[in-house]
Amino acid sequence: MAMAVFRREGRRLLPSIAARPIAPIRSPLSSDQRRINLHLFCREEGPLGVRSISTQVVRNRMKSVKNIQKITKAMKMVAASKLRAVQGRAENSRGLWQPFTALLGDNPSIDVKKSVVVTLSSDKGLCGGINSTVVKVSRALYKLNAGPEKDVKFVIVGEKAKAIMFRDSKNDISLTVTELNKNPLNYAQVSVLADDILKNVEFDALRIVYNKFHSVVAFLPTVATVLSPEIIEKESEVGGKLGELDSYEIEGGETKGEILQNLAEFQFSCVMFNAVLENACSEMGARMSAMDSSSRNAGEMLDRLTLTYNRTRQASITTELIEIISGASALEAAK
Amino acid sequence: MASTAAVPFWRAAGMTYITYSNICANLVRNCLKEPLKAEALNREKVHFSLSKWAGGKPEKPILRSDTPGV
Repeated sequence: MAMAVFRREGRRLLPSIAARPIAPIRSPLSSDQRRINLHLFCREEGPLGVRSISTQVVRNRMKSVKNIQKITKAMKMVAASKLRAVQGRAENSRGLWQPFTALLGDNPSIDVKKSVVVTLSSDKGLCGGINSTVVKVSRALYKLNAGPEKDVKFVIVGEKAKAIMFRDSKNDISLTVTELNKNPLNYAQVSVLADDILKNVEFDALRIVYNKFHSVVAFLPTVATVLSPEIIEKESEVGGKLGELDSYEIEGGETKGEILQNLAEFQFSCVMFNAVLENACSEMGARMSAMDSSSRNAGEMLDRLTLTYNRTRQASITTELIEIISGASALEAAK
Repeated sequence: MASTAAVPFWRAAGMTYITYSNICANLVRNCLKEPLKAEALNREKVHFSLSKWAGGKPEKPILRSDTPGV
């Protein structure tokens, strides 16, 4: 009789039940009664061979989605607090390069033989699209400035841009810098970096590509141009903003060329410092919004899973009730 | 004006203006009194890893750090 029951129930009564002896029930019971007892016996079997539909899979998914939601919420809080710390410094550092732009003007469209594109990006991921926008702008600058006799090289700061640019522009990379964020950002670090770049790369114009921080949700990729002193000399002969440099009086025993050289180096260092700070702010802001939308998505997923779970649970309870009641009524009819 | 041969001593030694100003800044930092001095020196720690590339391949990275091996 038990075998008939097994066959009737088909696959739902799995080998684990067959392995367990059902001797206690082999009494003069009808097949329906036996079925009900088997069912009562194995209702708590969990994932193995249940008669009722299993909710275990859905429950596991819900647990993991909830954990992910907690993690992304925590990451958002951390990014928000880091943002608050860096934002003040970034806004204050803007005053470092503004006098330079007032003195020397900004020449993003200048045509030079050797351009070096300095791409700033983050080392860690999960920060939204800021690294890919910076890489896009760098590649566009490359196309704009490449040509016969013109040369464009890349200096890449940060792991993420390195990975992306390695794929198609690797022959044009001349320096990569990583682990810049290990210590809190400070001017000493950035100036040593600027010094290294100046010593290792020949350039007529340096174009620094970074994300400028406007607000927590708005970061625009920006290009800051720093010219080498020779180009400044050439341009000042042409006229325009740089032509007014001659009207300044120079104290001390230095020539205009020397002062321009000092100024150009210092300008590069200041602009790099500001760019690195702004990029860090943008990274924190982008990570905040990425983690925020991720937590919201996890919440929606959790809602949908809860609905599925409840529906499955209620369906299995209903099936059980139907079977019990039909068994009971069959018994009564048999009597 | 002044003769062009009179470059400042530090440029003749191969330093850039950035290195020169950093050394001067360090001198000033070392003049601070004790608790502020330690904080200021702590604040300006340098750490990054630089690697030059030649022909599409990175060479061995150089670690510029005040705390190497950390």
